[in-house]
Amino acid sequence: MANLNIQSKEQRTYEAIVIGSGISGSWAAKELCDLGVKTLMLERGRNVEHIKDYPTTNMLPYEFEHRGQVPQKIKDENPVVSKCYAFREDAMHFFVKDGEHPYVQEKPFDWIRGYQVGGKSLLWARQVQRWSDFDFEGPARDGFAVDWPIRYKDIASWYSHVEKFAGVSGNKDGLPNLPDGEFLPGYDLNIVEKHFQEQLKKNYGNDRHMISARCAHIHEARPEFTAQGRAFCQNRNLCQRGCPFGGYFSSNSSTIPWALKTGNLTLRPDAVVHSIIYDEQAGKATGVRIIDAHTKEMEEFYAPVIFLNAAALNSNLILMNSTSNRFPNGLGNDNGLLGKYVAFHNYRAQVSGQYEGHLEYTTSGGRPTSGYFPRFRNVYKQETDFLRGYAAGFSASRGVRPNTEGIGMDLKNNLLNPDQYGPWYVGSHMMGETIPKESNYVALDPNLTDPYGMPQLKIHVDYDDNDEKMIKDYQEQMSEMFEKAGFTNIRVNDDHRVPGLDIHEMGGVRMGKDPKTSLLNANHQLHAVPNVYVTDGASMTSTSTQNPSLTYMAFAARAAHHAVAESKK
Amino acid sequence: MNRRIALRHLALISGGLAFIPSCDFSSDDILTAYENLKITQSQKQLLGDISNVIIPAGEIKGALEIEVPDFILVMVDDCLTSEQQTLFTTGLAAFPDYAKKTGNGNFSGLRNKEKETIILSGQKLEGDETEEGATNKAISYFLNTTKRFTIQGYMASEYIQSEIMPYSLIPGAYNGSVLISDIQKPRING
Repeated sequence: MANLNIQSKEQRTYEAIVIGSGISGSWAAKELCDLGVKTLMLERGRNVEHIKDYPTTNMLPYEFEHRGQVPQKIKDENPVVSKCYAFREDAMHFFVKDGEHPYVQEKPFDWIRGYQVGGKSLLWARQVQRWSDFDFEGPARDGFAVDWPIRYKDIASWYSHVEKFAGVSGNKDGLPNLPDGEFLPGYDLNIVEKHFQEQLKKNYGNDRHMISARCAHIHEARPEFTAQGRAFCQNRNLCQRGCPFGGYFSSNSSTIPWALKTGNLTLRPDAVVHSIIYDEQAGKATGVRIIDAHTKEMEEFYAPVIFLNAAALNSNLILMNSTSNRFPNGLGNDNGLLGKYVAFHNYRAQVSGQYEGHLEYTTSGGRPTSGYFPRFRNVYKQETDFLRGYAAGFSASRGVRPNTEGIGMDLKNNLLNPDQYGPWYVGSHMMGETIPKESNYVALDPNLTDPYGMPQLKIHVDYDDNDEKMIKDYQEQMSEMFEKAGFTNIRVNDDHRVPGLDIHEMGGVRMGKDPKTSLLNANHQLHAVPNVYVTDGASMTSTSTQNPSLTYMAFAARAAHHAVAESKK
Repeated sequence: MNRRIALRHLALISGGLAFIPSCDFSSDDILTAYENLKITQSQKQLLGDISNVIIPAGEIKGALEIEVPDFILVMVDDCLTSEQQTLFTTGLAAFPDYAKKTGNGNFSGLRNKEKETIILSGQKLEGDETEEGATNKAISYFLNTTKRFTIQGYMASEYIQSEIMPYSLIPGAYNGSVLISDIQKPRING
């Protein structure tokens, strides 16, 4: 019997455990496996195999019973996830339904999640802009949060590393606040977007730029992608269904199959992580405790190195639930800051308009990206009555719309012969940096539990005055830029969405130089438990304005190499 | 449960029953395929008649031929709120009387032009606080919703998107400045 237990324990022992199979977890696993580390990847959701488990990917519009619309009953049962733009009939099977994993909204928060192998990497918007030192130096310069323990020079080569493998299309724009990377050919802007670009140059000199947004799509066939089994993007814009070409980066199409091919990866889906096991005598973490999603039985796995990549808020939850005599308030939480200084991106405002120029032109085909405004506010110095600034998306489009007036043969003729080109429509949305504050936090509810018996997460996150000022400034500035570019019928909007719907929640396990004021060091190790690495959104000290996934990928790759180097010491 | 298959089965069953001479078809059964609606067979026929006036048959098939009424009922049953469903079914139930009042007799017996006139005027009805106003509101809601779903169901049908205006899953590379005058547009004569 004793022998059996030893054997069983050996079978459940690996050289590293990665918690989470989304964008950051799959990058940690891929790097560890490439370096010869026997790695166990735990995923709380079901397995989703590339292509095989994309049931809707090649469905035609008429094959969807409700032509894409989510039935009312599902909306009524899922008020939170139904707000997400991608929660439609073709992709709703990749989202967590509200009842599956309940949480407490101390303040309204739309927590959008994807529990399956690949996580939200199947669903993301695939925008990948690098950070610069104007971002990393933000907290120190402007006096909020704590100073980042790293700078651009620490991460630049890791950005390159992940970009080359993931496939990033973009132009070398030469902007100091949005560093260039390892780019495949960029996607074209259309004639009205180029017009706007020229007008910005004319009206604002070199201060404001609108570029073709860099995106994680393969825009040029290359052997390194063929080796992953991926082909170039077909411009289908059906990414949220999972791409049978592997045209965009997802864990499922890229890093996970790659890691499996090394023979070093063991993938364990349906494993809801309960906690990280801490050995008081050894003074380090020794493994991970999981609840089998089907049998609800607890199981333990062991490894000398643990990577926590459960997605920002769930990584917080797992650490808080990992208690011991040494860490009664959560693993590594000596200073009581675990779960605090959570922040997000402010997507509340939009500006739209029309353009009556270039009416002899339209567009054809598809593209997986659009225009992007890097942050232009407060970049070189403080110049407004709010801190930091916002990036913005921008696009122009024009289509043929059939005349739907009337009924009968005239209507039928009009529907089948659409020939009315409207004006060009232009639109923009803001992506504002929010300031991490102690009062924006997550914590464990002392009473409520989820279907696995885990404590529910209490979320207490809200906008502040800085955000309100920033919304106003974005609306004013974008309207002014639109006006100067000759756009008309300009409308500003504040959709009053609550935090969370940006799906860019970050922080709670922030990096920093000082163990008294941060949880993680410059290498993403818990100060107090250095064999635990957190390299997902939870580690973010501040949010800046860029879509964060690329930075998580670079963090994970960098930390994985650090962990292997440490193990060889 | 896939309702289309269920309906097909129902059709097969009733088709089979038709050979039994004693079977009585005079009763107007409620269709069980639409769980949230109490729609009768004759109401579905009326809906088909209306959708066929909105998009009539010709050289290219019309809404009724490609089973758009079925799509309309699926959408009303699944994708509208219960308040909207009530408005729709109230409007549908009130429509025959409205047609009788405004036209000359049963809707189904009218000529096509008369049917068009009734639908167009019905779409414009406005509601008020009176009982008649409430009915008018329901009729216009019913007709406008029927038109919207008729257009959607027709244009996003397999027939249109594979035989008439083929849909491509792969739209081709992006061109951001195409001269409209260079585009070859096939005219499809409905």
